[in-house]
Amino acid sequence: MNQTNPQAAPMPELLTVSPSPHARRGVTTTRLMIDVLIALAPATLWGVAAFGPRAALVLLLSVASAVLFELLAQKLLRRPVTVRDCSAAVTGLLLGLNLSPDVPLYIPVVGAAFAIVVVKQLFGGIGKNVMNPALAARVFLMLAWTSGMTQFSEPFAYLSSGSVDAVASATPLASLKVGVMPTESLADLFLGKTAGCIGEVSTLLLLVGGIYLLARRVIGWQIPVSFLGTVALLTFVFPQGGADRLSFMAASLCSGGLVLGAVFMATDYVTSPVTGAGRLIYGCGCGLLVVFIRYFGGYPEGVSFAILIMNALVWYLDMLTKPRVYGKSRGKRREQNGGGTRKNRRGDDRKEGGQGA
Amino acid sequence: MKKYTFRGGTHLHEHKETAGSATERLPEPASVSIPLSQHIGAPAQPVVKPGDTVRMGQVIGAVEQGLGCPVHASVSGTVKAIVTRRNAVGTPIQNVVIANDGQRLWDESIRARETGLQEATTEEIVEVIRQAGISGLGGATFPTYAKIQSAVGKAEAVIVNCAECEPYLTANHRLLLERGEIVLSGMEVVMHALGVKTGILAVEDNKPDAIAHLQERLKKRESLGRDADIRVAVMKTKYPQGDERQLVYALTGREIPAGKLPADVGCMILNAETAAAVSRAFWRGLPLVSRIVTVAGDCVRQPKNVRVPLGASVQDLIAFCGGLTQTPKKMITGGPMMGYALWDPETPVVKSTSGILLFSEAYDRINTLHSPCIHCGRCVAHCPMHLMPNYLAQYAMARDYDRAQEMDVMSCVECGTCSYNCPAGVEIVQYIRVAKGAIRAKAAALKAARQA
Repeated sequence: MNQTNPQAAPMPELLTVSPSPHARRGVTTTRLMIDVLIALAPATLWGVAAFGPRAALVLLLSVASAVLFELLAQKLLRRPVTVRDCSAAVTGLLLGLNLSPDVPLYIPVVGAAFAIVVVKQLFGGIGKNVMNPALAARVFLMLAWTSGMTQFSEPFAYLSSGSVDAVASATPLASLKVGVMPTESLADLFLGKTAGCIGEVSTLLLLVGGIYLLARRVIGWQIPVSFLGTVALLTFVFPQGGADRLSFMAASLCSGGLVLGAVFMATDYVTSPVTGAGRLIYGCGCGLLVVFIRYFGGYPEGVSFAILIMNALVWYLDMLTKPRVYGKSRGKRREQNGGGTRKNRRGDDRKEGGQGA
Repeated sequence: MKKYTFRGGTHLHEHKETAGSATERLPEPASVSIPLSQHIGAPAQPVVKPGDTVRMGQVIGAVEQGLGCPVHASVSGTVKAIVTRRNAVGTPIQNVVIANDGQRLWDESIRARETGLQEATTEEIVEVIRQAGISGLGGATFPTYAKIQSAVGKAEAVIVNCAECEPYLTANHRLLLERGEIVLSGMEVVMHALGVKTGILAVEDNKPDAIAHLQERLKKRESLGRDADIRVAVMKTKYPQGDERQLVYALTGREIPAGKLPADVGCMILNAETAAAVSRAFWRGLPLVSRIVTVAGDCVRQPKNVRVPLGASVQDLIAFCGGLTQTPKKMITGGPMMGYALWDPETPVVKSTSGILLFSEAYDRINTLHSPCIHCGRCVAHCPMHLMPNYLAQYAMARDYDRAQEMDVMSCVECGTCSYNCPAGVEIVQYIRVAKGAIRAKAAALKAARQA
């Protein structure tokens, strides 16, 4: 017994005592954020290809200022610096992808500052924000710099025209708004050969990113499917502009920031429900509001507003869809004897009543 | 083949590297330190004193009344001292220290049974199991005799829990392969005691060799023509399948109401090794004096399954497994999901020690990431009790224990699935434990105030 192995490592003086579990899956917040960046890469590259170096500059400014503002805010607020978790980079990229390539260059900087400092850090940092930072910033910019935010150039215009100035162009969404089918073919809309924000134009590549996120189990299917499904259903049942139902539905799905919103923005963990049922309701709500705003609102696009409104309901949706706990009946929360099925309890009550009688 | 499973839960990194290594017997340790409380219930009181000569299987601690079971000498030799030592959760417990004479002399009172199972009454079987000091060897250590007593007239089936859903642990797996017939025989004893005709051996599908072996055994048994319905149920490998609530649900579709026992829904559940101990006690008269322990983890030179006399120290076990390859940071008793971190290499092996795991600093690094919850919902999706662990942890952090209680925090079984899957590394289970502790303390204070 007790023969010592010459190469054996020693037992340390002190061992670490900590509560169980002593094992983890090893998927971290950082890893999830990197997955989102990877999933956004195809649509991002397409946006840069379609709108040129100007788009790249907008994205770069947006990401860099988001990261810098996070660093700055955390230093000022004396919080641990967490820029390495890549969440600021994701916010910055999403903000940039939601901007027209032709915005004035202060726009991405101001937007990143609003998203990171006001919406995220002042509410407590990662995990504590009530609204999606990138979307809140986009809406802020839309309201404050409306004209700067609504100039869109044609895709690949930078290749032919010598001028860097924007070629004003009506987006497909603006056409739909006035009840006209977009001039672009459905195929162009799907592939992304159309005017719009940097990251929203290529429905195909956004879906590719979405499939990557689903395959990696970064997001669940509930929000994108219920969101897009609701929009598809409503635009199919109530088409506008005299077009046939199917092409109107297809054009609606492929226009504006709908797919970018449904796949990447509405699925933001912090501002979406945690239960499957909650996520379905949340997605349906987003879809409903998008169609409502597109049909009756003052703005051509409703995705940002729709998601922000639903963000406010997340806590209620979570509580509404609280799963039935194992061994308990639904709705019986404060039970004095700490359990029992509804049937059992009814039986107990009856027995007590019997004794009293 | 139909595979049974439950809702929620998660597939873990299994690390069942020791599944192929046959159980070895620990060489006789120089001495053992046997705690007098290794079970739920009243601690046993010492009935030997320093200087006494004891034999294997001799009672050294007895429980006069109430819930509890006797403790037996696991070696033959001389009682050196009775000392107080803290157990794995920090409670001071009396220990009987015995110097081993290495003779392995069994106590003379131990006799094999002369009559068959059919002649045995329920009371007799319960008494044999109580005298043998058998408590649940899966980790909960509830005295088995009391469990059987409370299931009399209620149980419709006896389920032997061979899920072994914790990573690293393979002690049950090896037992089924090497001594499957003893597990079966123990199950029959309990079935007879309860007058039950249905027996289910629940094995996870990551042990196909054990499943095949048991089915082979059952075929042979059926050829003997006994009239009971005993079968192997193949369970999907998913944690925590071995939790009795999930086991009962998977097999019967019934849920055990909060605060009730498996017997209340007609099930009697035994751990595989407990069943083997019942068989040895009933047929051969042997009390519970040893158990199989999986020694593993990235610091162990030769991870193994070892049959260990109760009271042998963890360092004896580590030495038998070739010592350490690197300096450990943590030493765990049980599995990594629900086991306790130990601090003393002299800690004795007890009835609940299903594994001894040694993990390095590098392994433990994934446990030390603590960042804010990002509301991803993984804990909710995987919770086998269908709780919302993220909210429970948040209410616990805010010390809003009433709200946590409304959200059924007391139903948490502390299996650790939420913390395991948390990308932010939030110690969700620990926050929940704090809330449960506070709620229990408040209830106790209220009760005391009412009585005063």
